[in-house]
Amino acid sequence: MATDAHSLKQLVLGRKDVQDLSDNEHELPPDLMTVNMGPSHPAMHGTVRIVLTVDGEKVVKSDVQPGYLHRCFEKESEYATYTQVFPYTDRLNYVSPMINNCGWAMAVEKLMGLTHEIPKRAEYIRVIVSEVSRMTDHLTCVGASAMELGAFGPFLFFLKAREWLYELLETISGARLTHSYIRVGGVNKDLPEELPAKLSHTLDQIEKVMVEVEGLLNNNKIFRDRMAGIGALSREDAIGPTQPVAIARACGVDYDVRKDYPYSVYPELEFDVPVGTTGDCLDRYLVRIEELKQCIRILRQCLKQIPDGPVVVADPRVTLPPKTDTYNTIESMIRHFKHIVDGIKVPAGEAYTFVEGGNGELGFYIVADGTGRPYKAYCRSPSFVHLSTAGQLIHGHMIADIVPIFGMINMIGGECDK
Amino acid sequence: MSQKVLDALKAAHGSAVDRTVTAHTDDIAWIKRDQLLAVATWLKTDPAMAFDAPVFCTAIDWIDWKPLNQPPSAAWSEDKPRFSVAYQLRSSKHRHRVRIEVELPEADPRCASLSGLWPAFNWQERETFDMYGIRFEGHPDLRRIYMYEEFVGHPLRKDYPKDKRQPLVRRDDLPINPIKVETEFK
Amino acid sequence: MPAPPADVITLTIDGQPVSVPKGTNVLEAAKLLGIDISAFCYHPGLPIVAQCRQCLVSVEKNPKLQPSCQQVCGEGMVVHTADKQSTLARQQQLEFTLLNHPIDCPICDKAGECTLQKLYFEHDNHDSRVDVPKVHKAKVVDLGPTIVLDQERCILCSRCIRACDHTSGQHQLEFAQRGDHEILTTAPGEQLDNPYTLNTVDVCPVGALTAKDFRFTMRAWELDATPSVCNGCATGCNVEIHHKNGRAWRLVPRHNAKVNDYWMCDEGRFTYHDLREERLAAAIVDGLPAGWDRAIKAAADRLAVGRTAGQFAVALSALHCNEDNFALAKLAQSWGITHVYIAAKPQVPARADGRLRVADINPNLNGVKAIALALGLTTKPIYELDGNIRGLLALGDVLPGLDPGKLKDLEYVALAAHERGPVPHAKVALPVSDWAEVSGTVTNKDGFVQRMHAAFGPPGQALPAWEAIVRLAGATGSKLAWTHPREVFKDMVAAVPAWSSLVWARDARPLSLRFAGSRG
Repeated sequence: MATDAHSLKQLVLGRKDVQDLSDNEHELPPDLMTVNMGPSHPAMHGTVRIVLTVDGEKVVKSDVQPGYLHRCFEKESEYATYTQVFPYTDRLNYVSPMINNCGWAMAVEKLMGLTHEIPKRAEYIRVIVSEVSRMTDHLTCVGASAMELGAFGPFLFFLKAREWLYELLETISGARLTHSYIRVGGVNKDLPEELPAKLSHTLDQIEKVMVEVEGLLNNNKIFRDRMAGIGALSREDAIGPTQPVAIARACGVDYDVRKDYPYSVYPELEFDVPVGTTGDCLDRYLVRIEELKQCIRILRQCLKQIPDGPVVVADPRVTLPPKTDTYNTIESMIRHFKHIVDGIKVPAGEAYTFVEGGNGELGFYIVADGTGRPYKAYCRSPSFVHLSTAGQLIHGHMIADIVPIFGMINMIGGECDK
Repeated sequence: MSQKVLDALKAAHGSAVDRTVTAHTDDIAWIKRDQLLAVATWLKTDPAMAFDAPVFCTAIDWIDWKPLNQPPSAAWSEDKPRFSVAYQLRSSKHRHRVRIEVELPEADPRCASLSGLWPAFNWQERETFDMYGIRFEGHPDLRRIYMYEEFVGHPLRKDYPKDKRQPLVRRDDLPINPIKVETEFK
Repeated sequence: MPAPPADVITLTIDGQPVSVPKGTNVLEAAKLLGIDISAFCYHPGLPIVAQCRQCLVSVEKNPKLQPSCQQVCGEGMVVHTADKQSTLARQQQLEFTLLNHPIDCPICDKAGECTLQKLYFEHDNHDSRVDVPKVHKAKVVDLGPTIVLDQERCILCSRCIRACDHTSGQHQLEFAQRGDHEILTTAPGEQLDNPYTLNTVDVCPVGALTAKDFRFTMRAWELDATPSVCNGCATGCNVEIHHKNGRAWRLVPRHNAKVNDYWMCDEGRFTYHDLREERLAAAIVDGLPAGWDRAIKAAADRLAVGRTAGQFAVALSALHCNEDNFALAKLAQSWGITHVYIAAKPQVPARADGRLRVADINPNLNGVKAIALALGLTTKPIYELDGNIRGLLALGDVLPGLDPGKLKDLEYVALAAHERGPVPHAKVALPVSDWAEVSGTVTNKDGFVQRMHAAFGPPGQALPAWEAIVRLAGATGSKLAWTHPREVFKDMVAAVPAWSSLVWARDARPLSLRFAGSRG
C-alpha cells in the first residue's frame, strides 16, 4: 500500500493516515519516543548523556547533559598553589595535556608580567611539545571516529602513531600522559639530547602512516556517506555560537589563536590554517588531517630553529634553586620551601589568557589576590562550547549520525566537564 | 591592546559604565547591572564594535577577597557587592576583545541573560548559575548543567566547603526511577 | 599600647598620603596603606626596642635610615620604604640574620608560619654568599615545663623576653654572651614557668621556642584556623582554633583589645585536649547505645515522671553557650516551670591574678543568669536541689554537689558532650556538641557576648544541644521550631533587653594557614 516516499515522510512526520498503513508499518511506534544515549555508551566516551526524543530513527529533540566527569577543577585550583594546578590541567584535555600546561603557565606569567621574559629555548620547547600534543589529539579524534564508523584499520594505524608520540613525550617529561612538564617561567627540564633525531624520525614515520590512512578513508564510500552532509553548520552560526577550531574552520572561519593573537614563537614559524567549505563532518575530518600536516611542518621548523640556552627564566620569584643549594644553604632552603608550600606569589589582578588548544581556544581566566594560590581559576574549555552546539548539530539527523557528529566534535570529557 | 573599544564604549554609554581598566593587555569595563543588555546589544550590533563571537561567561565570588599588600579597605566587606559576572567577547572582524563585568549584590544575584544575543552563552550561563547561583533573567532554560538537579547549593561559592560531601540519594517523588515501597509484600 | 590621642597626623609614605592618630609609628601607618615593612622585634602588643634593624626606612631630611617601629609619625613627614637605600638595608640585614641560621626548615615546627622565611622570600631572595662554617649552639634546651628552646634558630629579637615580662610580670628570660655566641637563656637555676609561658612561642618569629604540647605533632601549613572564644574561664579570651580533619591541634590567641589583647593563658590553651576526652558519640538509654529516635522517646517517657506534680527540675549549664541555654529555658517554660537550676563549676579563687585568669572557670555564667532573668525564671545553684525532686533534665556534664547515690534515684536525662561526672548515672544521655563544634555565643565576665564559630562537626551522632532540645520538645508535645542557631539567637536577643542590639555575624569560613599569606 503506502510504500512511496511521500507516505513514508508522512509516517515519520505526521500521523494523519496511520490507518492506511499496512500491518507491517503499524509496528513502528506511532508516538515520539525518549531514548537515553549514554553516559554508558561507547560513542559518548562514557561521559555525556543525550536524552533524545526520536520519531522513528530521526532526532526531533535532544537534551545534551554533560557533567559525568566533573572533578571540580576550578574549586580544587582555588585550594592549590599555582604550580600544583599543572597536574590538574593535565587532566582537562587528557589527549593534549601539554597545551593545557602551556596555557596555564602563560596565564600565570601574564599576571606576573613575565610574558616576554621567557627564554627563547623554553618557548621553542613549549611549541614543540604543544604541537606534538596537538598531533596526539587529532590522531585520537580521527582514529576513534573512523573506528566508530566501522573502519578499524585507521584506528590501529593512528593509535600506533599516537603511541610513538607519547613515547617521545615520555622521554621528555617522564610521564606518558599526565606530563606536568611546563612550569611558570619555562619548562621543567631541558629536552633529552637524542630528542631531535627521534622526533624527526617519528615525523617521517607518521607521514607514511597518514598516506595509508588517507588512502583508506578519503575516498572510502562508506566513510564519505556517513560523513558528508552530516552535521553541517553555516559560517555565521559557527562564529557566533561556537568558534571552535575544527568545527568553525570546517565552516570557513579562518580563526586560529596562533595566527590572530600570536603568542610564544609562532610568529617565527610558517604554517597555514586550513579551512573548509561545507561545514559538515567530512570537512571537519579533512581539516584535522591537514592540521596534522601543518603540525609536522611546524615541528620540522622548530627542530631547525631551536636555539641553545636556559629553559627557565632566572627569576627567584618563580624558579626553584638547584637541589645542591637547597640542601646546603638556608637561603635556598627557604626559597625552595616557600615555593613548594606557599606557592609562587602572583600580584593581585585578573587576566584572561588563551592559546590554541587541541580543540580550539583554550583559555584560563585567573583572579589573583597576591597569595600563592588563585583566588579564582576559570577554564574556558573549548569542548564545553563545542558540546553546546551538539543539540543543534544532531537535530533532524538519524540516530546513527550522532556517532560521526559527536566524534567530529571531539568532545574530551575531562576538558568539557572540568 | 585596544583602548579604543573602551573609549568608544564610554562615549556611547558613558552613564552605563562604572569604570574601565586595561590590565595585563585585557580591556575590562564594569557595566551597571540594569544597562547590561543595552550595552551588550550595542557591542554586538555597532559596526565599529561587531563583537560577534562570545568567548566565556563566568562569575566571581568576592566574599573572601583580601588581597595581600593592599590597604585593609581593599578587602571585601558587607557593604560591597558579593558577585561579579564577567563576559568575554571577541570580534572576528576587528580582532579586538573586551571583557564586560557586572557587579551583583549578595541578596539579589540577578542579571540579564545575554544568551539571546549570543546563543553560546546559553550553556555558559547555565554553568554560572549552577556554580554560583546567579539568576540570568530571560534565559530560556536556566537549569543546572554539571551538577544533578537535586544538588543543594552552589559549589563554587566561597562559602561552600571544599570537602563537603553531598551524595546523590534516590528520591521517590521523581518521575524517573521511582522507588517502589513494597508495604504489602509480606 | 596606650590609647593614642585624638589628634590626627598626615604624612606621606611611598607617595601616598595617610592620616593616623598622633603617636602612631611609621610601621603601623604603612600597614594602613597595605605596605608591609618587614620587622622581627616589633610587636604591636609589646614595648618597642628597635633592635632587629629590619624595619629601616628613609625619612626625608634625615641623613640616616630610621627604624620605622620607633619612628613616630610627624606632620608632613615624607617616608620612602621602597627606595634603593632602605631596600638594600633590609636585604643586607636579612643576609646577616641568616648567616648562622641552621638549615632546619624541613624539621622545624615554625616552618610555614615563620617570619624569617616570609621576610627573606619577600624582601631578599638572594643566594647565599657564605662559605665558612656556621656557628653552632645548643639545639635542645629545656626552658621549663612547657617550652623547648633551639638556640641556633634564635635570631635574638627579644620578643619573648618582653612578652614574658609583659604577660606574666615575671622576668624569667634573658640574653647571655655576646656577638655570634649570644644566646637566649633563663637565669641559672631558674625555669620559664608561669601561667602565660606559651605567649612567648606565639611571638617568636622563628622556630627557636617551641611548645612541648605542639612540637612535632602537626605541620602549621596544613592547619585551618577558625575564630572562636576560649571556654576555659569567664574571661573569654578570643582564640583561633587550629584544626585539621575534625581535630583541634592547638589554640592561639586572637587580638581583641577589650578582652585579651594579644594573649591568653597556658591553661586555656590546653583546653582543646578535652574536646577528645571521654566523648559521648551516641545516645545512651539505660546503659546501652541507642539511636536518636529511640533515645528521644525514652527521654520523653522519663521526663513525664514528676513533670506535672512539680517534682521535676531543669538545670541550665554555665559551660554551654547562650543558644543552648535559651533553648532549654524555653522548653522548661513551655512545661510551666518557673524555677531553674544552674550547673556551674565551683570558683577557683587561687586562679585570679588580676591579669587574664579569673576565679570563675565557667565561660558563660553571666549569660545563663541573664537568660533566666529575662525569661522570668528564678534560679538556684544545682547543689541546692530540692529533696522531693524525682526527674531531672540537665545540660552539661557538671553537676557539683549532687552525689551519685542521689542521681541514681532520679529519672535523670543528660544533655552532655562527655561521658563523665554525673552522665554515666543518667537514665538517658543525649550526645551534644562541645564548644569547638558549635555556632553560638558566650557571655564573658564583663558582659561581652562573643561569637564562637564551629571549627568542625561533633563526633558520631552528637548534635548541637539546641537541636537536641528542639527534638525533645517535639516528643514532649512542646513546640520549638528552630532550624538554625541564628534563629535561636534572634529569639534570644529579642527576649533579653541588654542584648537587643546584637546581630548574628556571618559564619566564619576556616582559613587555610597555608595561604593566609600574612602569617609569620
